[in-house]
Amino acid sequence: MKKLVGVLTAVAVMGAAACGSSSGSDDSGSIKIGSVHPTTGALAGVGGLMNDGAALAVADINAAGGISSLEGRQLELVSGDSQGKAEVGQSEAQRLIDEGAVALVGTYQSDVTQNVASVAERSRVPLVIDVAVDDKILDQGYQYSFRMQPNASSMGTDGAKALAAIGQQTGQSIDKVSYLHIEGSFGDSVFNAFEAEAANQGISSVQEITYPATNFSDATTQVREAAVSNPDVIVATGYYPDGLLIAKAVQQLNLKVKGVYGIANGAFDDSSFPAAAGAAGEGVLSANYHFDATSERTNEIRGRFQQQFGRPMETAAMLSYQAVEVIAAGLEDGKDTDPEALRDAISGVSIEDPLLAFDGPIEFDETGQNKNATVIVMQVRDGAVAQVFPAEFATDAIEFPVGAGQ
Amino acid sequence: MTDAATATAPVKRRTLSGMNPAVGVATVVVVIMAVIYLVGGKDQGLVTQSLVSGLLLGGVYALISVGLTLIFGVLGIVNFAQGAMLTMAMYIVYALSTAGLPVYLATVIAVPLMFVFGMIVQATLLTKLTISGSHDGPLLVTLGLSLLIINVLLMIFGGRPKSVQAPIDGSVSILGAVASWPRVLAFIGAALVAVALTAVLKRTPLGLSIRAVASNSEGAKLVGVDIGRVYALTFGIGAACVAVAGGLMTPFTSLTPSVGEQFTILAFVIVVLGGLGSVVGAVIGGLVIGLVQTVGALFLPGTGSLILVFAVFILVLFLKPEGLYGARR
Repeated sequence: MKKLVGVLTAVAVMGAAACGSSSGSDDSGSIKIGSVHPTTGALAGVGGLMNDGAALAVADINAAGGISSLEGRQLELVSGDSQGKAEVGQSEAQRLIDEGAVALVGTYQSDVTQNVASVAERSRVPLVIDVAVDDKILDQGYQYSFRMQPNASSMGTDGAKALAAIGQQTGQSIDKVSYLHIEGSFGDSVFNAFEAEAANQGISSVQEITYPATNFSDATTQVREAAVSNPDVIVATGYYPDGLLIAKAVQQLNLKVKGVYGIANGAFDDSSFPAAAGAAGEGVLSANYHFDATSERTNEIRGRFQQQFGRPMETAAMLSYQAVEVIAAGLEDGKDTDPEALRDAISGVSIEDPLLAFDGPIEFDETGQNKNATVIVMQVRDGAVAQVFPAEFATDAIEFPVGAGQ
Repeated sequence: MTDAATATAPVKRRTLSGMNPAVGVATVVVVIMAVIYLVGGKDQGLVTQSLVSGLLLGGVYALISVGLTLIFGVLGIVNFAQGAMLTMAMYIVYALSTAGLPVYLATVIAVPLMFVFGMIVQATLLTKLTISGSHDGPLLVTLGLSLLIINVLLMIFGGRPKSVQAPIDGSVSILGAVASWPRVLAFIGAALVAVALTAVLKRTPLGLSIRAVASNSEGAKLVGVDIGRVYALTFGIGAACVAVAGGLMTPFTSLTPSVGEQFTILAFVIVVLGGLGSVVGAVIGGLVIGLVQTVGALFLPGTGSLILVFAVFILVLFLKPEGLYGARR
């Protein structure tokens, strides 16, 4: 039995090695980077943007002369469609690796990313996560996965800190909050981290209200319930459609709150939100990772993206762009297209001047998490999303309290 | 104690099935609401709000379900494309309103468009299968149609969420609860569609032939009813109903190509709950499910309210397998 296991392991290792060498040894043509995103299904909108973001990065790097330490070899993006499903994402990742991708970027959803990360680990191919918030993904002790954005618990924690700081800066007391969040590991982990940190920040009570991830088409009951405890602020964590419903319900119910504050909220800092929400959106705050609107390079890339694809480049697409840059930096530093060598190089990269509003260069700790990932606070001001906190990233002054609570 | 319980049980059952279902349902709802108000331990304004929101949401569900119940009841087709057709109608309304038409006028235009679409789908894809009595055939065709609609919409409009502003915004206060105007209008629309559809079925020659085909298609054919035409018209009416639903829903829904999908399963629950083919049943079923979901959310957070919906569904099927208004087959 032991022998059999040994033989099987040896075969598996040889198989993996053969796969690895087949992709690494092809040193004449372009270097393939696999992109796994939901380009069909409910999340096709953002998934398509992300794929375009990665494609734009590849085109930019190629136009600038490719990977110079590898004699200017060009990059090539090979795309896979996860359809928003974990098992499809997994098989697509496997397909891209079999086709010779030396690294992967993806995937937007935490559960899909979890499966793709396990494929990356097994195949010994680096995965640079552009968007996927769940802490659990990197808690597995994976060696081949890297994440640039903050994880769920740090977003909850930083969100609580930023809220307290905003209260202090504007001279408003924030004692009680009601927290609405989507059911599931994403909402739970952000909420739990927020609740723990809120206590440290002097926020005395946090009321929790959850709503289902499916068949949620009216938020009035949940928002009314949130109002029962007379909160100073309503905090919300979830995706686009539910975030929009919540903002509209707060306005309809004419709640006397000082503000609506999203943490890792998919709606409140999306460029289509102010128009969709109308008056209900004005003044809504959102703590999230975000492209750096104060950076010239970011704005230049966003401008070209809009021109080429006819749609605004949302933060998620900017992260896909940046993920490709991380891989390119790894190729440049490591001077090798072998996925394992590339992994080692990526673990040591330091990217100054990130395109996101981060507190320093992109550098990965031993778990693969970007050490300097932070959230910043945005606010809808005059029908557009502006960065308002902290001061170093602010493009507009913060307005607080807002709306009916003034 | 035990004797008394067994003695009253059959009496209770007799009254339950003998009563007009609407009265029965209303009684149950009133009793449950009274209990919630008195001993639920929730803020009264909150309960009223959930009641109003639930009824308005139920109106939307009813609107989606009346078309489905007609197709299901008359043609025997499990129309898996109902949700996708709803989405399609919403995008038609979106396209017309971005061209400058007010939402409700756009809805009036979308209705005949969807009616014709439904007729074409039935005549070209489904009638042969319907006549042959195949069950899985139409199911697969509508499933395929649903995928086709969703992906074509994705190709044309992209997946970014779209929104439509209603010309009448703002909200109205009902017993201290707040209801937004677009939702109230959707509710009124649902009631009107239900009344109009009942009138068509009960009082017009078309309605007579639809009912004839529904009860015995062979017999109807023998007495000279063009059943192919009736099938096409029925599917067309079903599609027109979702067009009304889609149009009235666009002001308070974020549009993505898969937005209608979530309603398909709930609509089936409502249709079976109300009784296959019964328009009134679909309306009552829709209202009940809306209420259960919203009022239930006060006590069971998150997905709990959906579990409650399915619990009620199973309970009704257990007590009255043919549904509230269904005829025993």
